[in-house]
This record gives sequence, structure tokens and C-alpha cells, in this order.
Amino acid sequence: MTAPAGGPVLECSGIRKSFGDHAAVKGIGFSIARGETYGLLGPNGAGKTTTISIIAGLLEADAGEVTLGGEPMNPDATHTKRLVGLVPQDLAIYPDLGAAENLDFFGRLHGMKGADLRRRVAEVLEIIELTDRADDRTQEYSGGMKRRLNIGVGLLHRPALLILDEPTVGVDPQSRNAILDSVEQLGEEGMAVLYTTHYMEEAERLCDRIGIVDQGELIAEGSQADLVRIVGQRDRLTLTATGSLAATAIALGGLAPVDDAAVTDDGIALIVDRAHDHLPEILAVAGRTGSLVKSVDVDSADLESVFLKLTGRALRE
Amino acid sequence: MKPVAIARVNLVRFFRDRSAIFSVFLLPMLIVLLLGAMQGGASVPKLGFVSAADDALTSELLSILQGVDGFEAVEIDGEDSAVRQVERGGLQAAVIVPAGYESTLRSGGDVEIRLVIRAGQEVQGIGEVIGAVITRQATLLRTARFAAQKGAGTFDEALAVAEVAQVALPPVSVEATIAGEPFVLAGLGQFDIFAQGMLVLFIFLTTLNGAANLIQSRQLGVTRRMYSTPTPVRTMLAGEALSRFSIAIIQGAFIFIGTWLVFGVDWGSPIGSTLTIIAFALVSTSAAMLLGALVSNDQQAGGISTALGLGLAALGGCMFPLAVLEMLSDTVYRVAHVTPHAWALEAFQALVAEDAGVADIAGFLLILVGYAAVFGVLATWRLRKVLVR
Repeated sequence: MTAPAGGPVLECSGIRKSFGDHAAVKGIGFSIARGETYGLLGPNGAGKTTTISIIAGLLEADAGEVTLGGEPMNPDATHTKRLVGLVPQDLAIYPDLGAAENLDFFGRLHGMKGADLRRRVAEVLEIIELTDRADDRTQEYSGGMKRRLNIGVGLLHRPALLILDEPTVGVDPQSRNAILDSVEQLGEEGMAVLYTTHYMEEAERLCDRIGIVDQGELIAEGSQADLVRIVGQRDRLTLTATGSLAATAIALGGLAPVDDAAVTDDGIALIVDRAHDHLPEILAVAGRTGSLVKSVDVDSADLESVFLKLTGRALRE
Repeated sequence: MKPVAIARVNLVRFFRDRSAIFSVFLLPMLIVLLLGAMQGGASVPKLGFVSAADDALTSELLSILQGVDGFEAVEIDGEDSAVRQVERGGLQAAVIVPAGYESTLRSGGDVEIRLVIRAGQEVQGIGEVIGAVITRQATLLRTARFAAQKGAGTFDEALAVAEVAQVALPPVSVEATIAGEPFVLAGLGQFDIFAQGMLVLFIFLTTLNGAANLIQSRQLGVTRRMYSTPTPVRTMLAGEALSRFSIAIIQGAFIFIGTWLVFGVDWGSPIGSTLTIIAFALVSTSAAMLLGALVSNDQQAGGISTALGLGLAALGGCMFPLAVLEMLSDTVYRVAHVTPHAWALEAFQALVAEDAGVADIAGFLLILVGYAAVFGVLATWRLRKVLVR
């Protein structure tokens, strides 16, 4: 199920969606070309899932336009939906059916049948490495196996655009690696992939271009190199600390070499010009303002730094 | 055919649950068997005959009782056994003839015949018939004894004359007028009434229980994923409805054929019965869809479907036949007809007890289709919203 050659597989612009008084998506727009893996990076609640629900035709946008292969997408656009493979964040498979039965069922809903369906089910079982367990009920699978099947269902009908919504949440490291390998492989095979995550490392590894989403807005977009340039030559300094973190963050934010300082779950994240040179001063301020620093990490600028720079908050807050 | 694919998967999932095999196939047959056995073939009441005597008059009395229409007189060995069987419902009554019945009568003594009758209005008539038969024989004996005492020959000669005279005498004619409707259980076999009730109860209950599957699909996110495929909501609804309808038909067909083959249940016109099953399956399907649309938790749905399934069945006459409800109270009878169950049972009872045809039950079928339409419209309206949420 491929999109016409030429233009982008997905184009969306000015997408808006509100739920009551809450504006979940505020004018997001981007495009994805064939063979490109595009990452939507943002914290939980940023509007990523609402955006992909609109792109997948599950939700009607209040405003804006979505086209897939040049065809408009909306909840009634049955024909356009054939171009999309959706891998939802939560598992969406029948636990009392086997992997082959689940794949067969969703294949039929995509209009596949007969020998083509049987052949494709066997192929996908190979891809997701579940051929040996194809007939076992999925309730007997490990979490990673279920995740792989969840992705397999999205791949089955050879979509032009595969949408993966946080596919590695709650997955063990080994399965996570296998999933990331599969996504890399799909991109290389020419499939357009839209990948949402709040794991910076995944976006860095997989995505040709990344859109950073926060509070329903696309606040930056580009390749990883483009985005890091926003931060410049500054370092990301992570203090693992306890105590008066808020007061310390405010005090550190006032230091000349510090661009941004934000409280995280277990300390404070900072964007600092030449962090190694200013480390003694930073630790002294932390001590004076009532924080006990347990460890210090200095990293060169990355997507986490970009997010902190753009929003004043850490990505995983 | 996407609706067929959806229905197929739902059926596989439904019957993969082993408890469904028990509740769909074994439980209804067991209940029909148990209730039918308790009923004990009451359509031909049994009369026990116990006699310690072995004389001609006792044999004659048994012979007369065996010739009376409306019950079957059988010899029972021992008074205790007869009383116990009456208490348990195996016999509707027992006649206990004392030792020396004939000799006592011949000698001019008094004889007391005991009649043990099971409690209940319907067996009072049997007692009256038995009393009349015994009185008739006693009258002849008293007449013969009186004639013999007055010198009109021996006791046997006088008895023979009395018997001839009784036949020759013009009978007193009694003109009976039938008032009211016949008791509807008349004409139904031992298992018939319970098979009808259980068929209606289980079609509704089993189908309603299937609503939990619909909710599970939503909870699992599968419904939402289905919506992301090129499958319109109307197709999804059709598939879900086809699943519920298939379950209803499988349940109905199993009880229909199973009770006919195993218990010899009479279902009347096959076409009429089939149409009634289909109409009631439609009602059950739309009710299950409505429940699946209104409830968001599958465990909650399980509880509600069981309560509704059993409650409406009891109210609608599946556990206590409609005729019994009618005898209890007009109000109860009218309330029963708020449920679709009562109309389905009316159709079945008309087919069996009144030998009705399809045209005769068309009104009942239309009412059932009306229930299905109302539930179906409400369910569709609600499900269009919740399926894609």
C-alpha cells in the first residue's frame, strides 16, 4: 500500500484540536517524505498522541489539513486510511487469540484475503520473530513479544506511513533494542515512519528529522544537528541533588554562564557555557542555597539540552 | 466481508472460554432435564392403588379405576410406599383398600377406603372422580345387600340384578358449559413448558453476556485500532451485531434441536418456532448491543447482564409459566408482558398448545421485532459515539 511517488507521504498543517477548554494541539504542521523517519519528541501530555490520532483518521481536527499521498485524511476517509499503519501506545491486540489470528483479523480489516494474506502473515511473523509462537495465545507472551506483535499488526498491510506511538514504553532493554532495529530497517526499506517518543536517545538514534512538541505546539524542527545548533557550544550539566532544588535552580539561573536551569525529578538540569570551567562556582551556589549535590554529569549539547533551552523545562519533567 | 471477519473473531473468542461451553450447551439441557423430571410427567396424572385384599370386588374396583379417563391407575406395593410417592409428586393420589374389603361388605359391615391426595388445586378433581367411582360401587353393594336381607335372593344374585338395573336406568344428564380459557399447560408434555422457558431465558442471557466482549474490545483498544483501518463505523457495528446474533441463534438452535432429540419436546410448527427464535434472537442482539454501549466496564456488564437475564426471565414467565402468573394475579400477568420474553413464550405456547401456524403468531413476532428495533436504534446511536472514542 504505497503512496504515489513524488511528493511527501504525509503533509499536515495548522492542526488544531481542543477538548472542552483544553487546547491539546495548537497549529502543528510538518511533512514526512518516503523513506524518512520523523520523530515527534516531547514530554507526556505535549499533544503527540492527539496529533497522531488526527493523522491516523481517528479524530477530527478542529482546524488544519492532513493529507496522505495527496489524499485528505479524516475519520470518514476510508480510502486514505489504507495508507496508514497505526501502532498505538497501549497494546491493541486480542489476548485470547494467537499472533497469527490477530494478524489475520487485522489483515482482513485492511481488505487483505486469501493467499496474499496468509503469505503476508507469515512474513510479518518472521519480521517480529514470533513464527515459533504464532499459535500461542498472546496472553502467554512476554511484554516484549506483545509489543512486537503490536508493531506487526501495523506493518501487515505494507502501509505508506507507519505511525508508532511510544512503542517502547514499558519494554525491557533487549526488546526495546529489537524494536528500534526493526524501525531502522523499515526506514531503510523506504517506509515513511512517524515516531513519537519522550525518550531523547530513541529520537537521536532513529529519526532523520525531529519535531519538538510542547504544550500542543511544534516549537522546533530539523535534523538532530540543526536542533543542537540552537544550543550552540554550551554543555548540559545535570546535578543529582536533594534539598531546596527550586531555590537553587533560581540562584543558578542568575549566574552569567548559565543559560537555563530547571528542576527535574532527582535534581537540576542546566545549560552552561563551558561547564567544566564554572563547576566550582555552581557547586558553591548549590551548597549555599540548601541543596546537597550527590553527583554531577556534564554532556555536550543534545536534544535534552535543546528542549531545556527552548522550554526552560527538562524533557522528562 | 469485514462484518463476517469481526463476527468470526468474536465467536472464536466467545467459545474459547470454557465456561461458555458449559453455560451455552450443558446448563440449559441440565435445567430442562431437572425441571422436567420434577414435573414427573404430570400431563397424565398417576393414581396409586394399594390393596391388602385379593378378592373379586377389589379387583373390580381397580379395573373400574383403570378404565377411567384422565389418570392412570397403577398398583403400588404397600401403603407407606404409596403415601411417600404422593408426597414426592410421583403419584397425584393413592387409593388404599383395607384387607377383607369384600368379605366385610358381604357380611354387612362398614369399610373405610383411604384416599391420599397430593396438595394442590389441580388434583382436587382427581379426588372427586375417584370418590364417585368408589361411591358407585358401594351403592351397588349396599343395594344388593339390602335386597338379599329382604329375601330377594342371595347377595350375588341381588348384586347381578342391581348391576343390570343400574345400566338400564336412564342416566341423569348433566349439561356442562365451558367458561374461560383452557389452562394453557394442558396439552404440553413433561419437558415442553420448561424447554420453551429455558430457550427464551438462555438466548437472552447468553447473548447479553456477550456484551462483555464488546466492552473488552473497547478496553483493549482493539475497537479503536479497527477504526484506524479502512473500516467504517457502520461496518464495525454490523460485525458486532452479527456476532451477538450468531451467538443467539447458536444458543436457540441448540436448545431447540437438543430438547427435541433428547426429551422429545414438541415445538409445534417448525417454521413458526424458527421465526420466533429468530425474532427473539434479534431482540437479544439489540439488547446486548445497547448494554455494551451503556456500560464501560466488562465486569459491571457481566453482573448487569446476569441480573437482567434472570430477572426479566422470571418476570416474563420463563421460570413460572405465564398461565400460572395469570392465575396468581392479573397485574403480574400484565407486567410480565412488558418483557419481550412473555411475547416469545406466548408465540411458542400458541404453536404447541393451540397448534397455531405462522399467521396466528404474526402479532407476537411483530411485537418482538418492535422491541429489537427500539433497542437497536438506541444501541446504534450510542455505539457510534463510544466505539470511536
